[in-house]
Amino acid sequence: MSKATTLGARGGSAASGRADPVRMMEGRERRFAAALMAPAFIALMATTTFPLLHLGWTSLHRMDLAMPFMDGFVGLDNYRELLGDPRFWSALGVSLVYTASTVILQVILGLALALLVNGMRRGQTLFRIVAILPVVLSPAVVGMVWRTFMLTPEFGVVDYLSMTAGLGSHNWLGDPSLALFSVVVIHTWQWTPFAFMVLLASLAALPEDIYEAARIDRASPWQSFVRITLPLLRPAIVMVIIMRTMVALTAFAAIFTVTGGGPGTATEILNLYAYRKSFTELSIGYGSALAVALLIFTLVVTGILFALRRAK
Amino acid sequence: MKGRKLRLVLLLGVSGLFLLAWIFPIFWSLLNAFKSEQDVLAYPPKLIFTPTLAAFDDVLFGPTSIVPNLVSSFIISIGTTIVTMVLAIPAAYALARLRVPGKKWSGFYVLATQMLPPVGIIIPYFLILRDIGWIDTYQGIILIYLSFSLPFAIWLLVSYFEDLPFEMEEAAFIDGASRMMTLWRIILPQVRGGVAVTVVFVFLNAWNEFLFAVVLSGNVVRPVTISMFNFVSVEQTLWSKLAAVSALAMLPVIILGIIAQKHIVKGLTVGAVKGGGRR
Repeated sequence: MSKATTLGARGGSAASGRADPVRMMEGRERRFAAALMAPAFIALMATTTFPLLHLGWTSLHRMDLAMPFMDGFVGLDNYRELLGDPRFWSALGVSLVYTASTVILQVILGLALALLVNGMRRGQTLFRIVAILPVVLSPAVVGMVWRTFMLTPEFGVVDYLSMTAGLGSHNWLGDPSLALFSVVVIHTWQWTPFAFMVLLASLAALPEDIYEAARIDRASPWQSFVRITLPLLRPAIVMVIIMRTMVALTAFAAIFTVTGGGPGTATEILNLYAYRKSFTELSIGYGSALAVALLIFTLVVTGILFALRRAK
Repeated sequence: MKGRKLRLVLLLGVSGLFLLAWIFPIFWSLLNAFKSEQDVLAYPPKLIFTPTLAAFDDVLFGPTSIVPNLVSSFIISIGTTIVTMVLAIPAAYALARLRVPGKKWSGFYVLATQMLPPVGIIIPYFLILRDIGWIDTYQGIILIYLSFSLPFAIWLLVSYFEDLPFEMEEAAFIDGASRMMTLWRIILPQVRGGVAVTVVFVFLNAWNEFLFAVVLSGNVVRPVTISMFNFVSVEQTLWSKLAAVSALAMLPVIILGIIAQKHIVKGLTVGAVKGGGRR
């Protein structure tokens, strides 16, 4: 935003007297700007801020669609119940594992692949086009394709490969210990190309002459990677981590279509728990409290990441 | 010399493996859409078979046709795109190029709204839309889609508007053009490309949205991503039909993705890469 050259910034420097035509122009410009922004900002407030306030209010109520006669204000009861709810803590744990593992995998794989492709003279376009495919697909469709054609026991391609390799057939989504692993792999499959594309673009923008100098100084490839590439890529890597974390924390569609949070609660991230509580078990008040907890959790995590980004 | 050859083989092998890993699940589900039900179920999996359009014929023209679902998806995505662009273009222009009261805070507000967890928004929305009778309506779903498409579009458009030189407006003012005229006649044609990219992204996001659609859809508004579930149940899965539906749900976004290929990184990061981002 800072580099924007505004009309006002230029006119403003000359503004002094009361009937100054420049200042009049400035006032007119402000009104014009406000008029241009008003519709979008009203829509934004109506679709984001107002629902959020409503959510906070709902979370202080008992609200059961199945038993509406019990509805009423309960203060912080929902939050008190939440703190003693083992399923909430389990969902928080699954969210943490899911987010941390997918983000770490995406960054490592994406960076490795970006380095690999950046060194290629030909074939970069092919990689770019292939990388775009998973990213533009609907996570719901991706989830469905993996659940059926890839992971179904004794039929899916992954299971076929596993059997051919002598590892035996597995119930990839029905076995609690494998299910979380499977959804992590699916998320990583879909979003590693994102990290790859962003990091490749940043790699391509790095100045060539630094590497030239490093070569003259007989730096090994590993040295120039650690001493030059990583520090220069740091802003892009941190940005990828922040963006991917935010998306992983709000992931829903793929897990919903693949496991629905199951088996049991093995893949139930906080999002899914709030959804199930509200729309499957119809306990909207408690579901709202869960959503507020998720919001706080998201804010804390992104706050930490932004703080890390500023610290050198 | 030998070392270099080995490295080349390794490079090709590793990159080939990655390409295969990414393309295969998509390729395989598309392939299954052209198989007969027996061929889909064959073991070991069949790569060579007689292709048939039976599955497409069934899902498009059979009794459980998904054509209404495709129409739903298009109405939602196009409707969301139009409303979003009409609201976002003026706002982004003002934020990027005019003196705006509380500019920094307005920009921050737009960014912050993008971080909200959708599940937190859908709960109050569901209650409100239920009260005014807008569940299972296009206006209800398009309205809620603004919650994610609008901040995204404003942010992306701002990054395109900021790239224009200031002199462009200055020249127009000297010629006595009004501000509205300047935006419409001078500025907008210059950011055509950016507007096109934004349109593609807003459309993609609306097409792919799932959580809001699950909660708000009914018999009238039922996008194709939801209708997939008709073909998978606990008792049985209609394999080739499911593959055909997935293929039809994938097709528009794959086409758009490949068309917008060169701009996709910018759209995904919204200028975040250049030197660590704005703010």
